[in-house]
Amino acid sequence: MVQCTSIKVSEGWQQTEVLLVRLGQCIIGLAVLLTIAGCGAQKAEFNNREDINVLIPEAQDHVREVLATHFGQPTRMVLWERMPVHYHGASGVFAENAATAGKTLSKLNVTLTEENLPIEEGQELAWISGKYLGQPNPHVVSFDATASQVGIEPGLAEPPGAGDRFAIAPGEVLIHGRILYAEHCQHCHGVSGDGNGPTAKYLNPRPRDYRLGKFKFKSTSSSAKATRDDLSRIIEEGIPGTYMPSFKLLKEEENRAIVEYVRWLAMRGEVEFKLIQALKNDYSNEAVASQVASARESDSTLSASAAREKVVADLNEYLTGDWQEEFNDDTKFQAEQWVQAEEPSALVIPKLARVPDTPESRAHGRELYLSAKAKCATCHGDSGLGDGSQTLSVQKNPATNADYDTPGLFDDWGNPVKPRNLTRGIYRGGRRPLDLYRRIHAGISGTPMPAFGTVLKDEEIWDIVNYVMNIPFEARDRQPGSGAGTSGAGAPEVATTR
Amino acid sequence: MVWPIAAVVLCWLAPGWNWWFPAGPSGTGAAMSPLGERIDDLFYMILIITTVTFVGTQIGLGYVLFTGARRSDQPEDAEGEKAWFSHGSHNLEVVWSIVPAAVLLFIALYQMEVWAEYRVQDAFPKQVIRTGPLAEVTARQFEWRIRYPGVDAEGNPLELKPDPQPTDLYTVNDLRLPSSQPVMIWLRSEDVQHSFFLPELRVKQDAVPGLVIPVWFEAIKSTEYSMLCAELCGWGHYKMKSRLVATPEDEWRVWLQELQVEQNYDGVSDESNDE
Amino acid sequence: MSTATPTAETSHGHGHHDHAPDKLALLKKIHTFSTDHKVIGVQFLITTMLLLFVGGALALGVRWQLAFPWETMPLFGKLFAQQGGQISPEFYTMLFTMHATVMIFLVIIPVLAGAFGNFLIPLMIGADDMAFPLLNALSYWFMWPAIACFGASFFFAGGPAGGWTSYPVLSAIQEAAPGSGTAQTMWLLGVTFVGVSSMMGSVNYMTTIINMRAPGMTLFRMPLTIWAMFITAILQAFALPVLTAAGFMLLFERTFDFTFFIPGGLVVNNADPTVGGGQPLLWQHLFWFYSHPAVYIMLLPAMGMTSDMLACMSRKPIFGYKPMVYSMAAIAGLGFIVWGHHMFTSGMNPALGMTFMVSTMMIALPSAVKVFNWIGTMWGGRLQFNTVMLNAIAFVSMFIVGGLSGIFMAAVPVDIYIHDTYFIVAHFHYVLFGATLFGVFGAIHFWFPKMFGRTMNEGIGKLHFALTFIGMNGTFFPMHLLGVAGMPRRYADPYLHPYLEHLLPMNQFMTICAILMGFAQILLLVNFFVSIFAGKECGDNPWLANGLEWSAPSPPPHGNFPSVPIVYRGPYEYSNPDQPEGLDYWPQTEPPVPKPVTSPVPAPA
Repeated sequence: MVQCTSIKVSEGWQQTEVLLVRLGQCIIGLAVLLTIAGCGAQKAEFNNREDINVLIPEAQDHVREVLATHFGQPTRMVLWERMPVHYHGASGVFAENAATAGKTLSKLNVTLTEENLPIEEGQELAWISGKYLGQPNPHVVSFDATASQVGIEPGLAEPPGAGDRFAIAPGEVLIHGRILYAEHCQHCHGVSGDGNGPTAKYLNPRPRDYRLGKFKFKSTSSSAKATRDDLSRIIEEGIPGTYMPSFKLLKEEENRAIVEYVRWLAMRGEVEFKLIQALKNDYSNEAVASQVASARESDSTLSASAAREKVVADLNEYLTGDWQEEFNDDTKFQAEQWVQAEEPSALVIPKLARVPDTPESRAHGRELYLSAKAKCATCHGDSGLGDGSQTLSVQKNPATNADYDTPGLFDDWGNPVKPRNLTRGIYRGGRRPLDLYRRIHAGISGTPMPAFGTVLKDEEIWDIVNYVMNIPFEARDRQPGSGAGTSGAGAPEVATTR
Repeated sequence: MVWPIAAVVLCWLAPGWNWWFPAGPSGTGAAMSPLGERIDDLFYMILIITTVTFVGTQIGLGYVLFTGARRSDQPEDAEGEKAWFSHGSHNLEVVWSIVPAAVLLFIALYQMEVWAEYRVQDAFPKQVIRTGPLAEVTARQFEWRIRYPGVDAEGNPLELKPDPQPTDLYTVNDLRLPSSQPVMIWLRSEDVQHSFFLPELRVKQDAVPGLVIPVWFEAIKSTEYSMLCAELCGWGHYKMKSRLVATPEDEWRVWLQELQVEQNYDGVSDESNDE
Repeated sequence: MSTATPTAETSHGHGHHDHAPDKLALLKKIHTFSTDHKVIGVQFLITTMLLLFVGGALALGVRWQLAFPWETMPLFGKLFAQQGGQISPEFYTMLFTMHATVMIFLVIIPVLAGAFGNFLIPLMIGADDMAFPLLNALSYWFMWPAIACFGASFFFAGGPAGGWTSYPVLSAIQEAAPGSGTAQTMWLLGVTFVGVSSMMGSVNYMTTIINMRAPGMTLFRMPLTIWAMFITAILQAFALPVLTAAGFMLLFERTFDFTFFIPGGLVVNNADPTVGGGQPLLWQHLFWFYSHPAVYIMLLPAMGMTSDMLACMSRKPIFGYKPMVYSMAAIAGLGFIVWGHHMFTSGMNPALGMTFMVSTMMIALPSAVKVFNWIGTMWGGRLQFNTVMLNAIAFVSMFIVGGLSGIFMAAVPVDIYIHDTYFIVAHFHYVLFGATLFGVFGAIHFWFPKMFGRTMNEGIGKLHFALTFIGMNGTFFPMHLLGVAGMPRRYADPYLHPYLEHLLPMNQFMTICAILMGFAQILLLVNFFVSIFAGKECGDNPWLANGLEWSAPSPPPHGNFPSVPIVYRGPYEYSNPDQPEGLDYWPQTEPPVPKPVTSPVPAPA
């Protein structure tokens, strides 16, 4: 038997020409096929917060649905107008044109409310409100900035209503942001901005999770959101002492696009977070179970599924009723916060110029640093090594009021944080005096670093700044060659005779 | 044996398709530093020698194959059917040992001077030795942190000290130095090994942890150059994108002064009250 | 080109034997702990051929990312894609690290020294087996812990990500990179096992070649393959301990906090500054002290085998046998003093740069001599353009390219620019793929009949050669240009840098060529395994070659030769006019016919 087959194979095997042609075809075909097949990229999808799983499935569905309606997915984004994101190339409202009756309107007088990208020929003009909403969109053919006039093709048979809103290059900024985000940021910060991309687990500290809407290094007061400029600055300068590198060579417009996308992700995350929080109390698996149990206790005839159905009915009633209003209020408030952060009044600006950096000022700063008023030393340590007593004691989680399992400090994301070692000369939020002033005045959002703006006077803060900025050099003077400098201890002598 | 011809043709056409030295500010791919130009000259010299050798040997190979093929096509009993029986030729061996040896030795010795000038400190340009380093470039995962000396009250740069000073100024991924003069930097690494690479200037030097390595170069033109990392330094190796901005020296001084003002900004003082 | 005389039907006369040996004898023992050198050789061969596919697949992963950055790979892509269909950059680092590791430590070194060294050395020198058969078997089975370690390292966080050179500090500090953790430790253990395996092999080869040659097999009657294996074994025996020591130093540094390579004051992953006084350059010196000779370990045996194939298929003696031997010895000697050319930009003393430049230039010389001699060998020959010959010619042709591009890098100032760019990638792929692998492909076709008593399919062999040759040049030649354009190695996304953006189409072309080349290797595998069962049967000496191995039965039984062979002449007496029967070959074992004393004047024509 074996012999037989072997002979057959043998004969076929030796008819080279036939074999060759077949094999050649197979290989080339396979290669081409695979090349083509490989071009279809796997789609990026947002994933939900982990704590969504505490909700009952019905509530989970609702959360997903709301997010899908208002934010969509990375590849089919929904531009929710309520959120103050620069989605479009430009947007504006139609300002009435003079007598155009009977003619096709091809030049629109407009008032631009936002201009994020230069308006160029060929961009789409999409109506966001008015009678042309949902109609085929015309293209921009000309733009006169001084007259604020946009030429479109094809023209309109009738003028739109005054105040009708439109967007030029709709969504372009966000799309651009998404593409850049995928290239530069995603593998650390994750598709949904959860700071949990594939590379994240190797990094110390962990990449920022945007979904609380909190950013640490900002120029605004302690409770305010970060501004666009703050985010843009971080992208440009990086954060020394972390793995966030500087993306200085991104073009201004690319940088801005990423900022918008990051803000959008943060807003999405916040909405998700709040939704879950809102439903957690009554509609978590646990809560529903206890509701069912208590319902059955009071009425022993009730079956478990019937009791549960009743709770679900309650949920549906809530969702179609009160919830709508609450959601509207919440999201409006949230959007308002982001808008407020951009206003000049939100910025932390010292009223007093920096106190001259004199030994007296530093000595005063040192006093304050150790004092009960500022309590810097309790975390940062007496000599600024970041080894204060608080790092050794068990802290309370401000959100749950329960003790953490391990001693030390934690941030709002649940990651352990170390107070900055001030002897190293590394300042994550920037090394300008102003930056240090802001860190002290407004604290660091999301971390145990409190805001001292109300406790300390301006000159006191400046004294501390003067002292802190001198710590690296002071430390070096004390112990020559150790712990000094941006690049760590034991800076080797330059005289490497090469 | 079409392929050597294809290879040569491709190489010959390549610059035309911009597949050659990075085009850089000149747009032609010419090196943007005097030393770089000499490196390019050496490169072209070797290119010519190797191309000649390459074409020569491949043609030789092709010829040998062609005649060999003819011989094996001849009928068995024809004259000269057998291969040429030879165990080699001593003279030929000597020739083809000595000629390449001479060429190779020539190449090696011819390169020495440029190398010395680039790396041996005693052979550094006088000006560089006089002025000392203008900046310290510290590579870290995954960016370049740059430290400049501060400026004094008259706006002249101070001397750069090995250890950080309170007056020092910092930038990241943005190295700015005077153009049209040899300048020196100190190169060091904060974590792993990196390599400081300026493709348009033909400068490359590893940043070795624990060493401070002086590197000098001269940018001919006042413009922006690419600066990147050329030694595997971790997952973000490719991210170390940065630039060298070469400006005339007086502009550089002005920029340094501006940097000082900016670095000391306290949010209030709008004037040059930068102390 | 026509396939001429030496094929299956030519085995009449010589080597016709009565008993029909079991053609699958070697294959049947492949899963056993056999101490028969031929079985071990076949074990090595088949293992490395399969691993070649692993290494190739990893390379295709690298190429995919370079051609279509951040897009899902075909076939297995969904498995590796992390978020949004992208691979992560540390995955990319692992891809090229493991590609190099698998190819160097598990394919090329074992296929040359392990597979062909084992199979050929006793046969070619007329011995019945290796000097230490048990050691020999162990050297194969020690491959498996290595494969296991390397394989395991894939599954630890990030995989080993320090490049195959594993430069500290990246590879020494656990936090320096994803994969610098356990994966790197596994990697180092793997290297150690491979080292032990090669060491056992090389001791064995040296002893066997020195002590067990058949009567009459003087040193200068040994085929060049044996010379190459001998020199390789010496290289390995002297260089490998250094790598092993360095590997242990790194291992100790990582696991027991020794300080050899980590200097003080480094802040890695924002941890506390390191304490210590190590020097990262030390590793580079130690590593390259092994790894440069390793380049020759990966090349010399292929050179030797190619010489044999060229001589046989040209039906001509090797042109300049002794210069060939001396040049191999010179390569080996000089190979120990050129390691610094890997470190021109590393910051070592510039005076060293100059010395290493001179020695490096000098090592090009023996290579040049060899090339000329190969061409001389073919010169005036009756060339048989079969698969073996084509691969051997490709070896010579590709080696010229690889050798010449080496001169650019040997020149220090030029190396400043092209160091760590794709130029280097092109160079060593021309040497290791272009030269060594073509040599290996040729050798597989050449000695396959000896292993299994059948020939491989000639047509598929030629197709495989053609596709590989085209694919190889299409993939690697443009890399020279990429290098000149300044594209650095090991970049997951070079197009981030504006001056490299325009190189994308070229990279796509190269990737398509690489895919073609990758799939062409399936042909080899199919041809190999089907031919074992269904190839054309051939006698003991299908190529009409002179070597001792061809006087043994195919496949040779345990003990190889029916009786101890006696060697009368060198291995390259092709087309010798003195051959009494007028044949164009004259086996080494054929006793010389006593010359009839005739009148010194030749008969008039």
